[in-house]
Amino acid sequence: MDFSVLISEFPTLTVDGIALGFIYVLIALGYTMVYGVLRLINFANSEVFMIGTFASILIATQLFGHTIESEPLTGFKLVYTMLAMLLGAMIISGLVSVLVEIVAYRRLRAVTTNRLTSLISAIGVSIFLAEGVRILTSSAPMGAPRLLDKITLVTIFGADIRIDILLVIVFAIILLVCLDIFVNKTRLGKGIRAVSMDYDTAKLMGININKVISTTFLVGGIGTGAAAFFYVTVYEVTVFRIGFELGIAAFTAAVLGGIGNIRGAFAGGLALGLIEMYSSAIFGTQWKSITAFVILVLVLLFRPNGIFGESLQQARV
Amino acid sequence: MTNPVILELKDLTMQFGGVKALNQVNLSVKKGEILALIGPNGAGKTTVFNVVTGVYKPTNGEILFNGSSLKGKSRHRITKSGIARTFQNVRLFGDMTALENVLTATDVHNKSGLMGAMFTSPRSRREESASRKKAQEILEFIGIANRSDQLARNLPYGDQRRLEIARAMGTNPQLLLLDEPAAGFNPSEKKALGELIVKIRNSGYTVLLIEHDMSLVMDISDRVAVLDFGEKIADDLPKLVQDNPKVIEAYLGVPADAS
Amino acid sequence: MTFNLRDYGANIWARANKWQRYLMALVFIVAAFSLPLLENTFFNTPNTPFVSVLFYPIGLYTLMALGLNVVVGKSGLLDLGYVAFYAVGAYTAGLLGASLKLNTWEVMPIGIALAMLSGLILGAAVLRLKGDYLAIVTLGFGEIIRITALNSPAIGASMGITDIANPPTTFGFKFDLDNPESYYWTILIIIIITIMAIRILSIRRPGRAWEAIRQDEDVAELMGVNIYKYKLWAFVFGAAVGGAAGVLFASESMFISPNIFKLEVSIFILAFVVFGGMGNIWGVILGAVLLSYIPERIRFLSDARMLIFGLVLIIMMNLRPDGLLPRKKREKIKSDKKDSK
Repeated sequence: MDFSVLISEFPTLTVDGIALGFIYVLIALGYTMVYGVLRLINFANSEVFMIGTFASILIATQLFGHTIESEPLTGFKLVYTMLAMLLGAMIISGLVSVLVEIVAYRRLRAVTTNRLTSLISAIGVSIFLAEGVRILTSSAPMGAPRLLDKITLVTIFGADIRIDILLVIVFAIILLVCLDIFVNKTRLGKGIRAVSMDYDTAKLMGININKVISTTFLVGGIGTGAAAFFYVTVYEVTVFRIGFELGIAAFTAAVLGGIGNIRGAFAGGLALGLIEMYSSAIFGTQWKSITAFVILVLVLLFRPNGIFGESLQQARV
Repeated sequence: MTNPVILELKDLTMQFGGVKALNQVNLSVKKGEILALIGPNGAGKTTVFNVVTGVYKPTNGEILFNGSSLKGKSRHRITKSGIARTFQNVRLFGDMTALENVLTATDVHNKSGLMGAMFTSPRSRREESASRKKAQEILEFIGIANRSDQLARNLPYGDQRRLEIARAMGTNPQLLLLDEPAAGFNPSEKKALGELIVKIRNSGYTVLLIEHDMSLVMDISDRVAVLDFGEKIADDLPKLVQDNPKVIEAYLGVPADAS
Repeated sequence: MTFNLRDYGANIWARANKWQRYLMALVFIVAAFSLPLLENTFFNTPNTPFVSVLFYPIGLYTLMALGLNVVVGKSGLLDLGYVAFYAVGAYTAGLLGASLKLNTWEVMPIGIALAMLSGLILGAAVLRLKGDYLAIVTLGFGEIIRITALNSPAIGASMGITDIANPPTTFGFKFDLDNPESYYWTILIIIIITIMAIRILSIRRPGRAWEAIRQDEDVAELMGVNIYKYKLWAFVFGAAVGGAAGVLFASESMFISPNIFKLEVSIFILAFVVFGGMGNIWGVILGAVLLSYIPERIRFLSDARMLIFGLVLIIMMNLRPDGLLPRKKREKIKSDKKDSK
């Protein structure tokens, strides 16, 4: 244990933690929204993220022909390349997420009430996607070209605010605001909320359940895809097994905030991002991957409904 | 009646958020009687069952069973101490046979556990055969012995309701809580069920009954308590309750003299 | 009505008298013991000696699937950290075998006891949680234990433990690389004992309690079942089986390290259970045998094995959501006859 790093690097850790936290928040959407409507863990969301990271890099390298050695871009070119990467990752992840729902959940929903069956088919999809990418990439990590020159914009209390970090934070906030408007104001969003509150009644009221569920997976996938682009922008590398680690952390974030609760996912993601950064400064990075689990276990043991509630245990009785 | 009180609710209040499902309810059930608990939908009848069996912790008040408080007792201990119930919507163990359903309940008084079962201890063997005998007797008593090896979910509806009673009796209770046991029955089935409940009472059980069918209630119960919006508004002999203006008002929604 | 192999088999069994049953069981057991004879036939595995495959993965995974089935299939408790008990057994063998100079058979009861103890501790902590929360917490615990082991030099950290002793020669059977069938037969004996224990428990009080908890936990409790206690027992029973598998694995492979006990193992075993038919011993065995054998058999596709595994899971769950051999849907013969009268 060593607190000196924590103290000296506190501002930098905080900024990095917030950026990581926003990535978690966006992935957590894929878990928390699906849990809201289906009361099922969207096990394959981790692979939706993984595919998003590859999609984002491949758009830069294949579509725009950039390589790892490419010089950073500037001006208009930079903007449209980055936008293409972001939108591409969002669209592809969204589509994969919808496909996951069709393959792993839709038919089973009609024929069985056994929740484990859907979990196993989702695990099957997860293995299939991860293995497919592993074979295609020969297990090798894939680096992302640095298209954005990572200049430091300002320094606050000794913390460098890099442009990529700022980009993540700004875009994540814009996306979350859009999502909030979508869920609370639009017709489809209201359908999603109705199904989350009471699946059976919503069905009786004539809500097209399949459409609502597909939309939920699409929106969750789009958020996860955006997270994938941000991850690639900040960390500049991906590998076939990236989904597992990030997925578990994001799921923890969702549980932390009270799964099924979109605003809870926001708080949970930020909290987890910060805690992970601080604790790896204290205990050493080899323990970083364990932080999410320890927090997850502690939260569930002492506050089974998450910090912000939205009890799902009662929902199930 | 001079019979001792077996179950006593004292100032029982159950609050969910802002809603008082039960408000200072006092009720005593005497040993050996059939007490019917009636009232309009949402009056709090099933809540009484849920509080007594430990599903909910009461916000206020006390429940005494045979003179001792049930406070803080876990659900299975309450059952073991002699209170058993059925459910408004049938909740049998569908993938088990009728006999196994009852056996699950009779197990509550058995001492042998997993190790005894695994190594076939003499006690486990003795208890297992005694349980089977007893469960079979209960099924015969209820009149569904011919169904004992069928899966509960394949039984006809009426037999499922009867099996619920049999399963509750399996726990060897002193007090049976029956939650609308005749729901969905036709008049002749209701009559048969009424006779069965009387037969159950006559063989030594005390029955607290929730029922909507007034003719059944009037036929078989010794006393009727009426709940309305979580408050007890009457508690008397069936005949007297029937003419109680408050009760008529609760059911019809208008004062009795206006009708 | 669709044809249900499980019911078909169960009907044959139900119609048989006592001696026919003994005979059937005997034939089955003899056949299981003779499986090593299939080496060098169509069933041979291309890259790994067939008899070794019978022990690991087939035998070990079957055993663990049986143990996990008590937890998931019978009691309905979704445990995604089952590999932890396997690890406890294996590390007990690795650490105690060397330090206390105990042989495999002496370590076995200790490994099982320690696994049961960890099942008790873990269960006591997490079994108040329900459903998916339980799944995630058990998953979390499994990973915490693995990562802690990975960072603990006292138990070898990422290097693990090497040179674990093979079991001693017992009743004239040698346990070494040249005699893989000894391991297979040992695991087969443990599997048979486990099956017998589960069958006995199933028809008695613990089996009924588990079944009631799985079907409707709230009602079970109201009918007097001490659900916490029986959930714990299910956990502890499953842990014991996992521990036994771990001890045997460590003494056969002679080497263990934290990365052998990854989350994937828990998920595979769960997949075997669900794939075969939760709650039904024979379904689970079939699921475990098929899913652990097929990837070995088709090793020529070696790189795509797991891809196909994932695909098989998706297709099978969509075609047979209750598994290959689902739990019993039939009623006993006796009542069938009564009805037809």
